[in-house]
Amino acid sequence: MRGLLIFLAAISISACSDSELVSMQQLSSGAKLYELHCSNCHQADGSGLAQLIPPLKSADYLSKSALNLPCIIKKGMQGSIVVNGVEYNQKMPAQVNLSDKDILHICLFVLQKFPEKPISVTEEALGQALQKCP
Amino acid sequence: MKKILSLFLLIFILSCNQKRVLPIMGERTPIARTENGKTVIDTQYATVPPFVLLNQEGDTVSEALVKGKIYVADFFFTSCPTICPIMKKEMLRVYEKVKGNDNFMLLSHTIDPDFDSIPLLKEYAKRLGSDGKQWQFLTGQREAIYELAEKGYYATAMPDSTEPGGYVHSGGFILVDKQSRVRGVYNGTDAKEVDLLIEDLFILSEEKE
Repeated sequence: MRGLLIFLAAISISACSDSELVSMQQLSSGAKLYELHCSNCHQADGSGLAQLIPPLKSADYLSKSALNLPCIIKKGMQGSIVVNGVEYNQKMPAQVNLSDKDILHICLFVLQKFPEKPISVTEEALGQALQKCP
Repeated sequence: MKKILSLFLLIFILSCNQKRVLPIMGERTPIARTENGKTVIDTQYATVPPFVLLNQEGDTVSEALVKGKIYVADFFFTSCPTICPIMKKEMLRVYEKVKGNDNFMLLSHTIDPDFDSIPLLKEYAKRLGSDGKQWQFLTGQREAIYELAEKGYYATAMPDSTEPGGYVHSGGFILVDKQSRVRGVYNGTDAKEVDLLIEDLFILSEEKE
């Protein structure tokens, strides 16, 4: 049931996004990976957890720093971060079990699904950012 | 038409009055005593054993903290990347329902006391939105917490290096009544079960002692 919902969500998202940039396949793969690797903390609806885990839903951080996303997922994050005016300071673990391709699909999904307006970034641009992680 | 309406009303009232009776969990011991020359058998129910732990303020707390209270216990650790954030989101929902009502308390126990220091627990509690009184975050000797989890609350908690975060633990929310008896264990990662827990909290509060 959940799989179907995600699939439908992916279709509805892809219907209103630039199909040249993000394919349905990428989105549905990203949606599945998000559920598996991200939703425990950031929650299925992207709402985060109180002042502990920042939201992805309508997060201003995403529109400001979309290209930071691949390296945050790959390397994790430590220290303070401000999202929508609220400061968060919980360590995010590095996702060591994800391939580069997986990470890019999660980024594409997150950038389409959670901002107020889907953010269009190409897989190539995200992939280049991933190669330059500090 | 009027008859049908009143029939519906009757069914509605009747179904509302049918309250579930919550089971009492754990072993039972029969205790014989003599009353007016006759032997009477009483049932002694299992209770959560006495404990001595520290809360997020560094204060020593014991079972006296929850004396006469209905409370929900759970086990977690702050750096947990798996089920804890979902559990805490759900516990936050329970907290919103009982906030300010003196009958109820919430106790979250860390199973990683080496890492989860008292200042860290305090910060965690504050960021989660807890007042630090009605919802307390407890730590103590690792063995004491694990034993309390398993023997007192029927929950699992142990280190496991193969698990992300290094610990395996059950995501249970344990409902305890005013006499320290466990009355239910609910899956704290399942919103429907947590809805049931919230219902059961109020059923317990109306239960005659």
